Amino acid sequence: MPPLPSRMTKNRAQPTRYRPGKAEADDPASDEESSEEEEDARPVAAKAPPPKATSFPSQKKLAVDLSKAGQQSASATKTQAKAPHEDLEGFVTASESSVSEGEGGSGSSDEEGREESSEEEESSSDDEAAKPMLAPKFISKAKRTQQAPTTPTDSDKAGDEERLRREKADALLQAQLEREAAARAAGKKYWDDDDINPEDEVDDTDDLDPEAERAAWKLRELKRVKRDRETIEEKEREREEIERRRNMSVEEREEEDRRYIEAQKEDREGKGKMGYMQKYFHKGAFDFNGEGQDEEVKRALNRDLAGARFVDDTGDKQVLPEYMRMRDMTRLGKKGRTKYKDLKDEDTGRWGVDMRRKREFEGVDERFRPDDGYSGNQRTGANDVAVGERRRRDDDSGRDGKRTRYD
Amino acid sequence: MAHQADARRALDERGYTGALIRGDNPLKLFEKAVRDRIVDSYYWKEQCFGLNAATLLDRAVELTFIGGTYGVAQKPTPFLCLAFKLLQLTPDREIIEFYLQQGGEEFKYLRALAAFYVRLAWEKDEEVYSTLEPLLSDYRKLKRRTRESWQITYVDQFVDDLLTKSRVCATTLPKINPRLFLEDENRLEPRVSALGEELEELDHDDEERVNGQSDESDEGQMNGHVDGNGLADSQPDHRSDDSMDGD
Repeated sequence: MPPLPSRMTKNRAQPTRYRPGKAEADDPASDEESSEEEEDARPVAAKAPPPKATSFPSQKKLAVDLSKAGQQSASATKTQAKAPHEDLEGFVTASESSVSEGEGGSGSSDEEGREESSEEEESSSDDEAAKPMLAPKFISKAKRTQQAPTTPTDSDKAGDEERLRREKADALLQAQLEREAAARAAGKKYWDDDDINPEDEVDDTDDLDPEAERAAWKLRELKRVKRDRETIEEKEREREEIERRRNMSVEEREEEDRRYIEAQKEDREGKGKMGYMQKYFHKGAFDFNGEGQDEEVKRALNRDLAGARFVDDTGDKQVLPEYMRMRDMTRLGKKGRTKYKDLKDEDTGRWGVDMRRKREFEGVDERFRPDDGYSGNQRTGANDVAVGERRRRDDDSGRDGKRTRYD
Repeated sequence: MAHQADARRALDERGYTGALIRGDNPLKLFEKAVRDRIVDSYYWKEQCFGLNAATLLDRAVELTFIGGTYGVAQKPTPFLCLAFKLLQLTPDREIIEFYLQQGGEEFKYLRALAAFYVRLAWEKDEEVYSTLEPLLSDYRKLKRRTRESWQITYVDQFVDDLLTKSRVCATTLPKINPRLFLEDENRLEPRVSALGEELEELDHDDEERVNGQSDESDEGQMNGHVDGNGLADSQPDHRSDDSMDGD
């Protein structure tokens, strides 16, 4: 369980603002944060290893410029092995480095000892370019004059550092670019999110076998030439045929046509006849008879549909009962089978039949039909009298008849 | 024509004011379905934005395969996208000829792309034939991506398909008159094959081999006879060519 932050929150503490006139308080929180991270980074030591860089005012502020000169030479040696990215970690306060140099291998206090050992580990792994940056330390004017002669060497080393660091950065960049170029050259298209399975790909490098390639090309070219010539011949033949027919007389033409039709009929007879209620498989609307078709496809398309019988075929359906007379025998006995047989049976139209006549006595036996063939319009019985003069009755005289009545 | 980076205007069919091919928007040479797939693809959106003829050259030399659409979702190949871009740009004749000849010497896919464009865009049949027929002697290999798999084809095979088939690389090619027709009308000379002298030799061989034949034209002899290279098939050969789908 990592040590809990003292503020009981995961939010990082914000850096304290600078307020002019106020003394800056070092925040222990950031110390602890960084110390935490360092601890996590290096869990090797059983006891918490001291932080590499800390702004905590350690007691080492005492030894200010004790062995400054010594420190410079020591740091020169230290620059042998320093990693570039540990520049910041190589940030050593003047006090620390001086202490570490001053005490060397013999660690006085535990903390300091570990610190400097870690420091020395650090420094041994550091690259030579990075020199531990010294925190700016106020030097009084008196001391400054003492310091002056050493600064040129310092800046020289800084310049060296700079150059080395730049070179390293360039090298890194170069390596990156090369990697990118290699990736692109290897064919990884970054826009292509397809996984092109490399086994499926075919090789399109040329000049693997120049002779064979040339021979293959010659073959193709010859085929093309042949194809061209054959189209010419086709055309020629057609033209000849047309000429020939034109030159024949009418009878000859008819003779030829008749022969051709008979030949066709024979072919058709060779095919089977459609049985009673045989299942009909339509060959489909896409009757595309292109050149690119397989023989199998052609065979399938020009199949003899009518004469085809399959193993489970029931043969003649006339002998079957009504219930079993269906085109598709797979529907026999299945739920939901409609009574639909075929269009002819379901058709309710009566073809060639006069619908206008009244068909009352159609199926009735002849003895029970009416006498007249078509006496629907006539009156029967009492209505049978023809229209005539109205019979004058005697009691009619009182009525207002026609005025002029001369008896 | 003003070059606009976002060529949306070419894609919009109303009010199109650019160059016309066969009286219509050049992009209409591709079907609507294919056009939609191209415009929605990542390659188009990332790589084909704001191209001109020079930058298109950069893209074209990076092509590694030809093809139409592939996969279940009909994904367009970069080849198809670049062809679409060419149609949008309608570059000049000289540029296309450069792509074909000099550029194509070094980059075969560029040559295939230019040949595709020539077949689609140029309206005069004679020009199409006379420009594409020299390519029939280029036998470099091309990788072709079909719907489910890859195939090897050759530059001359591809050009032959362009001239003969009706549908190549997910597009229906505009109709051109067959060569025979143009020859009959004397608009074109009969094709001189790249084989040239070898063909003559073969024909002579045939003539000598077959007895009783007078000096007929060579045509009658090619059928059913074994000629110098051992070809014995008498069927018309365009049926037994390797199975190139049109799509």
